[in-house]
Amino acid sequence: MAAVNPSRRGARIVPHMVLFAALLFFVAPLVAIARFGFQNVPTVLLGWSTLFKKWTIDGLTGAFESPDFWPSFRLSLQLAVGTALGTIGLLLPTAVWVHLKLPKARGVVEFLTVLPYMVPGIALVAGIKVIQPHIRWFLNSPFSLVPFYMVLALPFTYRSIDAGLRSIDLRTLVDASRSLGAGWGVTLRRVLMPNLRASIVSATFLTVAVVLGEFTIASILLKRTLPVFQSTYRSESPRGAYALSVLFLLGTTAVFAVLSLLTRRRGSSPTSTASTTSAPDPAPVASTVAQHEGPA
Amino acid sequence: MTSTSSEVSTAGGRARGAPPPATRRSWAVFGLLPFLAFLTLFLVIPAISVFQEALHNRDGSFGWSAMTAAFSGQNRDAFWFSVRFSAFAALVGVVFGALLAYAAATATRPRWLRSLVASFSGVAANMGGIVLAFAFIALIGPQGIATKAIKFAGWDLYSGSWKLGSISGLTMVYSYFNIPLMVLITLPAIDGLKASWREACTNLGGTAFTYWRRVGLPVLAPSLLGGFMLLFANSFSAYATAKILTDNTQIVSLRLAFYLGGDINTGEDSIGFALAGWMILITALAMVVYWLLRKKAERWQQ
Repeated sequence: MAAVNPSRRGARIVPHMVLFAALLFFVAPLVAIARFGFQNVPTVLLGWSTLFKKWTIDGLTGAFESPDFWPSFRLSLQLAVGTALGTIGLLLPTAVWVHLKLPKARGVVEFLTVLPYMVPGIALVAGIKVIQPHIRWFLNSPFSLVPFYMVLALPFTYRSIDAGLRSIDLRTLVDASRSLGAGWGVTLRRVLMPNLRASIVSATFLTVAVVLGEFTIASILLKRTLPVFQSTYRSESPRGAYALSVLFLLGTTAVFAVLSLLTRRRGSSPTSTASTTSAPDPAPVASTVAQHEGPA
Repeated sequence: MTSTSSEVSTAGGRARGAPPPATRRSWAVFGLLPFLAFLTLFLVIPAISVFQEALHNRDGSFGWSAMTAAFSGQNRDAFWFSVRFSAFAALVGVVFGALLAYAAATATRPRWLRSLVASFSGVAANMGGIVLAFAFIALIGPQGIATKAIKFAGWDLYSGSWKLGSISGLTMVYSYFNIPLMVLITLPAIDGLKASWREACTNLGGTAFTYWRRVGLPVLAPSLLGGFMLLFANSFSAYATAKILTDNTQIVSLRLAFYLGGDINTGEDSIGFALAGWMILITALAMVVYWLLRKKAERWQQ
């Protein structure tokens, strides 16, 4: 497919135009939000003469000084950690179990994991509102969001773990570990988890990204998470809210880059079987790092 | 076949002090209980309660009146608007996503291009909500820099009734995550197109056009159609982005949030839940079709 006949070089002009247009479309909003967040010049006055003037980070520092920022930031971080731990704790044993004991049920379980796609977030909140009178004690805690966030992240996270399990020789590893006297817990922790490092890392990253960006459920259930803070803070200081968003984007990208570099380097070490975890995911549904780990 | 193979291996792997492994398939099913209980509690029960509330008449008896009310008058207009903009957004996403995936997959020159497109798509496909809405408001909102640049070129975007909450505006914003999502779906499908198929087609006297009409597009068709369904469901169910961008109550998700936010208990709220019920039905239908098509598409991606 990739082999392009040199005589058809003229035909490459369309793909080049597509790539260039995509570059423009995907970069322009980022440039715009960065300018809004870090330049104190109203758009009306923006021109060649003011282009490089009054760049500042006082929007950001203002946001940090807002009394609501740190509590919401801490809550979102706690939710992210809780959701990630819960996801790995629930999905890893389930996926291992399905692969070992119920290989025939793999399709069914996979189908169950995409069920969250069928219920829009806003409709899920509607359902939570219905049962709210019965579980008020539970929903009063902001950490009640954790299981719902696990549901939202489920399609990506299960896929990523499943792809990892497909690429290792699970049965042999488990049998070897068990015949050396390890119980299930030790096998899971000391044999399977190191081998599945790449897919666990990518599942964790996806979970964190979902949690730090989730607005719908938190805002309707009146939980003060970071995205909810961002949306309300905009009426107080648009520049601060935009600057915070830029920081958030940069942070996510940096974490993503570091994680994928880490897993890649580890993966290519000869002693580790993790190198096989970069087997191409058959049809990724937005499985971020799994894609990144692909045949690059 | 599965039960015998697991018996053999677990018999060999049984160790001192380990709990006796389940050897029968009927027992093995119980290992799924935590997962199934979790799904039931936090997804299935909320989803079913929506319908339980929606299938009430005003007097509390079982009936369809709220479901029909949620599909008439202004609510029907909202559904029509949402379905139209979601379909349009999905179409744009499919076309440009497939083109971008093809351009990235076939580009030979910068070797990192393909992996750059793939990893950026991974990030951008998940970038919905607040940050995305902020970025587009900064770009092309009433005070956006692109708005100003376009005005400078002599075209005032906001002189008419155009706004970010219109079909074209929403399509543009949603494309920011729809196109990358489509790239993620299409890249493996394009890799599934074997070079030998093209050679075979050429040897049999086919042109590039014949190749795409008889081989390429038919093989890609399940991926493209499935992608359309996924992007449709994605656009239809989005709430956060739309909420920040616009107050257009023709968007069903915003309308539903309006019902949920109010503390009105006038019997009107079952219409709100009926809206949610219809949203679930429409999204679920699109996703089931997507699922079936994906299974078809995976045949070529082994």
